[in-house]
Amino acid sequence: MSADQIAAQIQSTKALPVSPSWLTAVLASSGQTQRNIPTSALTKTALFRVLASDFRGSLLTNSSSRLPVDIYDPTVQERRLSGPIPVQILDIEDIGTSLWSQVEAIERVERGEAIRGREIVRTVAVGEDQEAQENSSANNNGNSAAPNASGSSGYGPHRLILQDAAGTKAVAIEMQRIEGISLEKLSIGAKLVLRNATVARGMILLNPASVDFLGGKIEALDKPWKEGRKARLLERITAMQNE
Amino acid sequence: MARKILCVAEKPAIARAVATHLSGGSFQTHAIRGNQYVKNYEFDFNFGGPWGDCSVTMTSVIGHLTGLDFERQYKGWMSCPPGSLFEAPVQESVDKDKLAIAENIRNQARYSKALFIWTDCDREGEHIGSEVRNQAKAGNARIEVKRAKFSNTERAHVLRAAREPVELDEFQANAVAARIELDLRIGAAFTRLQTLQLQAVVAALKEKVISYGKYRSGSSKIMTHASTGSCQFPTLGFVVDRYLRVKNFKPETFWSIKVMHQRERKKVNFLWKRVHLFDRAAVAMMLERCLMAKQAKVTKVNSKPKSKWRPLPLTTVDLQMMGSRFLRMDSQTIMKVAEALYTKGYISYPRTETDQFDKAIDLKKLVEKQYPDDSWGQYARDLIDGKFRTPRSGRHNDKAHPPIHPVCWVSQNQLNVNEKKVYEFVVRRFLACCSEDAKGQGTEIEIQYGEEFFHANGLIVLERNYLDVYVYDKWESSQQLPNFEKGEVFEPTEANIAEGKTTAPSFLTEPELIGLMDANGIGTDATMAEHIAKIKEREYVVVHQRGTGRTKVEELIPTRLGTALVEGYDNIVAGLSNSISLSKPFLRKEMELRMLEICAGTKTRQEVVQQSLDMYREVFIHTQRRIEMLKAACRKYLVE
Repeated sequence: MSADQIAAQIQSTKALPVSPSWLTAVLASSGQTQRNIPTSALTKTALFRVLASDFRGSLLTNSSSRLPVDIYDPTVQERRLSGPIPVQILDIEDIGTSLWSQVEAIERVERGEAIRGREIVRTVAVGEDQEAQENSSANNNGNSAAPNASGSSGYGPHRLILQDAAGTKAVAIEMQRIEGISLEKLSIGAKLVLRNATVARGMILLNPASVDFLGGKIEALDKPWKEGRKARLLERITAMQNE
Repeated sequence: MARKILCVAEKPAIARAVATHLSGGSFQTHAIRGNQYVKNYEFDFNFGGPWGDCSVTMTSVIGHLTGLDFERQYKGWMSCPPGSLFEAPVQESVDKDKLAIAENIRNQARYSKALFIWTDCDREGEHIGSEVRNQAKAGNARIEVKRAKFSNTERAHVLRAAREPVELDEFQANAVAARIELDLRIGAAFTRLQTLQLQAVVAALKEKVISYGKYRSGSSKIMTHASTGSCQFPTLGFVVDRYLRVKNFKPETFWSIKVMHQRERKKVNFLWKRVHLFDRAAVAMMLERCLMAKQAKVTKVNSKPKSKWRPLPLTTVDLQMMGSRFLRMDSQTIMKVAEALYTKGYISYPRTETDQFDKAIDLKKLVEKQYPDDSWGQYARDLIDGKFRTPRSGRHNDKAHPPIHPVCWVSQNQLNVNEKKVYEFVVRRFLACCSEDAKGQGTEIEIQYGEEFFHANGLIVLERNYLDVYVYDKWESSQQLPNFEKGEVFEPTEANIAEGKTTAPSFLTEPELIGLMDANGIGTDATMAEHIAKIKEREYVVVHQRGTGRTKVEELIPTRLGTALVEGYDNIVAGLSNSISLSKPFLRKEMELRMLEICAGTKTRQEVVQQSLDMYREVFIHTQRRIEMLKAACRKYLVE
């Protein structure tokens, strides 16, 4: 089976226009061009490598699968992206939670308090027993999402920085919950395909209908991103206090 | 009369109360030599059963009779390396000021057929009972030993306990003995280590701080640290943790979308399902998309009955938490007052974890006793006239005591100010438990506006029920919502962006601290208040008052020393895998779980002492090795 055939296969199932020359090189380097390997296994390996790659090298950059270069333009109230556009995630942020409470959460993990049996209860509601609380929150389900002092309302929505095969970057907002997008689960470099997504004021609106989440990661980006996350949060907090 | 029974209570007041009930009020009082508080009360009583008619001597101890200490050669501060205190031999002996009491028990036992122990029915009482038994056996090796099971000093209850003696619970007594040994060894080892090490640092400090080192022999504040055990340190840890969270807090701006609609001359505010976000551009974009959509659609109209549940039966932790919140008294004072009320026979034993009433207890009879009261007598009457409900059952049962409840009615003018407050709380809570939940009708309206969802909630309280007597709970009707139909479409009157800021948590309050100790499994209900008092006394924390009058809040703030110790110990274990700071609750929590295993009979006292010492020894070795960290923290906070 040729690299062209595998590329066609990936294009038809995942809407990813893989560059045949990149694919040939990858398959050759891993020694997987022998005839005796079944096609399905070969395609699987190829797809895995694509998802772990940098799209800027692994995908063809034909015009229909690219973001408009002026996508960030905040004066455009609304426009629609046509066709499937493969992108990779360069950054993720939880905009439903304050930066400071995210820092506190990281520090809890650093102190080993995320380990089972080592959790520390740090806040208690004085004056209501557990069952009564369950009772009243079940009764007033709107109020259960009320903002608390630390400014966290749960998880997400998330703001992402996306990048297409040509290197164009754009901000995206998770308008509805998308499986796979969370600070804990997502790796930097994970891949999405946008399908007819709406862009409002320079932000791509993500919802389950406009996004295929493919997963994957770029190891070279993910590791430093994770290691530097706390420092970046602290830096932004400091910048904010000085404003 | 041939037979004599020796009864021993935990406190003189209980001895007197029980003697009064058993004798019907006629007893002879004899002073004992060497102690002015303890008295012997003599009378006759028919116990029924095998004992029958007997002459009785009712006396008491005053808390624990004995103490545990190291043997003489280990007592000096410089006598041995502090680490050897984990193994050094210890011995139990009668406290000097209790010698006369012990002698009285030995003497009385000599002429008695049986010892009948009337110490409080909890772990500590069981251990005190075993101390009494040891003295009695020393006086009369063949004496029979029984124990009275009672949870209040009301007459009928006491008479029944007198006629149904049970056995002393050795398991519980052993659990206390294990705790005493662990507290001694761990407390002494750490106290000596850090004191000897920190003195060098402290002595180098300015005049003001040198006062810590002034008492060279052993009464310095640093020196006495942890000398009552490993619980106050995690207690302090909570105070410091919160303090640092407040101090380090950074406020941040957030934005939300507020939708208002005017209908039937009422303004209805709809709240955003996302509450608020920390990205202004995103919120502005979302609002714009709402406005672009023009029309909002009603997606949900729910109207359903709601209730606010009456409280659970009262436990010690709850009494302390609610008490310090509503009665404006600290937890230790509340417990002292509650104990006085118990000793006088007005309320049941105030140390209990049980939040379910036993089926056998006649609750209606207890309600009836409150008829004479001016404030809640009528409410009690209404309960009996048909409004009575069986109380809810919680999940806890210590199998020793019922939830705290009033035993009989007492006129307000027989109580002092604090007693009035605590008694009133206990009674109101009890009547609330026996009442119907509060009932209301709740309405929830949800709308979709553009891609965003908003909701408005309404509540109408229909029947207040228990709220009428339990004045501490609040549940109020909200504004009545105008009519909305599901599927209806309308254009909201207003939609705006609102800006806000996150706020720092507040400093820890005592009720919260009790809640945290309970939630993290440290301190038993009986000891929590003591630990909190201890960290105040040691000047690890101070109490600050914020606000005045009804909004007055007492907050716990750590002192420099308190902060330094916690930070020092945290630094000692920082980066070490699986080593836990003394300021965290886990070590203590595990120790307390093991106490429960002794009580259940699944572990022996020796096993538990060894296992717990092993855990703490490991931390001790780290501490010794990295003592510089502790010194550095003390320098940082104590050198101004």
